[in-house]
Amino acid sequence: MIPKIASGIAGLDELTGGLPENTMTLVYGPPKTGKSIFCYQFLRQAVADGDLCSYLMTDYIQSQLEQQMMVFDWFIHDYIQDKKLYVIDTASGSVGAMQKETKNMMISSPQNPTDIASKVIQQLQDIYQQTRAFRSILDSSTTLFAFNSPILVIRVLKSYIMRIKMAGGTGIITYTEGTAETEIETMLKASVDNIIYLDSETITIEAMAGLRQESAGYQITDNGIVVG
Amino acid sequence: MAAEIEGRRRTYIPMLDEMLGGGMPAGTSMLFTAMPGVASEVFGCQIIAERMRNDGDVSFIYTNTRTPVEIEHVFHRYGWDLRSALDSGQTFFVDSISSMMGMPAIGKYEIDDFKDSEKVVAEAIADIAGGTAVIEDVSTLLDSIGVDQTFDMIEGLNEVARSNDVNMIYLFTRWNYEKVMLGRLSQLVDCEVKLFSVEEKVVYRQVFAITKSNWIEASGTKIFFEVLEPGGVRVFIPKLLVTGPYNAGKTTFAHAIAPDTVSVERQTFELFPTTVGLDIGHLDYKGFSADVFGTPGQERFDLLLEPLGREAIGTFIVIDSTKPETFVRAKEMIRMCRTEAIPKVIIANKQDLPNALSPDEIKKKMALWEGVPIVPVSATDGKGLSEALDTLFSLIYEI
Repeated sequence: MIPKIASGIAGLDELTGGLPENTMTLVYGPPKTGKSIFCYQFLRQAVADGDLCSYLMTDYIQSQLEQQMMVFDWFIHDYIQDKKLYVIDTASGSVGAMQKETKNMMISSPQNPTDIASKVIQQLQDIYQQTRAFRSILDSSTTLFAFNSPILVIRVLKSYIMRIKMAGGTGIITYTEGTAETEIETMLKASVDNIIYLDSETITIEAMAGLRQESAGYQITDNGIVVG
Repeated sequence: MAAEIEGRRRTYIPMLDEMLGGGMPAGTSMLFTAMPGVASEVFGCQIIAERMRNDGDVSFIYTNTRTPVEIEHVFHRYGWDLRSALDSGQTFFVDSISSMMGMPAIGKYEIDDFKDSEKVVAEAIADIAGGTAVIEDVSTLLDSIGVDQTFDMIEGLNEVARSNDVNMIYLFTRWNYEKVMLGRLSQLVDCEVKLFSVEEKVVYRQVFAITKSNWIEASGTKIFFEVLEPGGVRVFIPKLLVTGPYNAGKTTFAHAIAPDTVSVERQTFELFPTTVGLDIGHLDYKGFSADVFGTPGQERFDLLLEPLGREAIGTFIVIDSTKPETFVRAKEMIRMCRTEAIPKVIIANKQDLPNALSPDEIKKKMALWEGVPIVPVSATDGKGLSEALDTLFSLIYEI
């Protein structure tokens, strides 16, 4: 029996039994299909379970994440205050806003994977001192593809995935379909353990240990993604 | 340490200059190869910032990963003033990132197309005769213009640098590239310094080592470092932990590997003195330098274990080979020191006693740690010590 953790997505775990622990899941699909909302729900579950979460955000900053989650009545303020969220944002760096960094709030740049990797490690070191089971979110790899040569991004993601898994984490990475060449997409898929596809109507588990391909309808409601 | 030689140009990276015989000969190149997760940018920053400050050096930074604004900010964080050097023209940027980011380029030179890189950078080198150029970074070039063109470029630039007495500093992150390619890259430069981490699962400490040098024999000596803001690269003295159950011989072992160890002991009501505080010593062994901390073994001191274990990079677990009933306690102590994740070696002590279990028997009894080496030792007569040290150091420094 593979140990699993709750995804936080209503109805999804009934289909899959949860996300296999200590694996990396790719959540991908066309734009505006709910990939970031998937991440918010995954984070919300971390809050509910008291898990630490490493969050690499490329398109928004921490305060925007907080606001976007508030739209669904999900509150992470206390969670942030308790230093359970570890953010690296590459969004504020690129607009030239130089705010003070802390262990829980680091700034990097989308075109500087060396720096991103070094900051991920610094945070994982801190997380690892506290727990072996944590969650990780990378939303979205699409931005990394936009700023770097695609093959470099694959190298970076492989290293990232290895680090998260070695430290004991269970994570998700989002990707917008069609933003990189098919060949690169294939390499991306080969780098993760599980693959979930969202097309705005149907959620498909393309790959997951111990499961056959499964699909179900989904909707984005006031409670986020609801499957079935 | 090699003797300092006249005319060498210092890098101002602590220990690096000492190991390089005073620094780099004029016109030579140096490649910093960083494992992913280890910060390399600070090495480039430190070399040019300190050279400008101490030697009045002229320089430029070629960048394809960070914008000039970000780089200036990074210098500031480390406590180096780049602004006034930029204003006076003592240094400048070759900006190969801004146009890609859709931002106005900042710098004396800008590059819109990676393919023009060689020509533009060569021009910049000619502007700073006798100075220093930082190329940041090679990984982006490799994955953008391809291996062959990148190598041609480095070869060409080094040629121009040699005739202008310019030191080239290349920064490179070693993602999962082909070994053959890495070997070829190393061939192109006069000196290669590897930056890596000592870890098991998660990085614990960062280390640099010279793995190649054309002007001095590369000893391979590993230097632990930390990066301070402000301050830059500083040498870090690592900490080794000696732990284990009560009366296993930790203090004897600590004294045997670090003879100047100071122990806090007192006569207890029992038959032998036991450590109620700490053993603290310093060890120099085959070019490695480390502080040694011994922990007390009694349960009433368990609260001390966590702070003692903090920041340790390797652990010796000393056990009494004649007392298998204490092995469980050894495991418990490792957990309390929070050192499950760092390299460790089990010291099967008291092998001189007739009823001592052999390493194989201990292995069976412990069955707790997969792959943790067990070294038979007799700390009282010094047997097995160098084997113990070699075993732990080889685990720590595994590249």
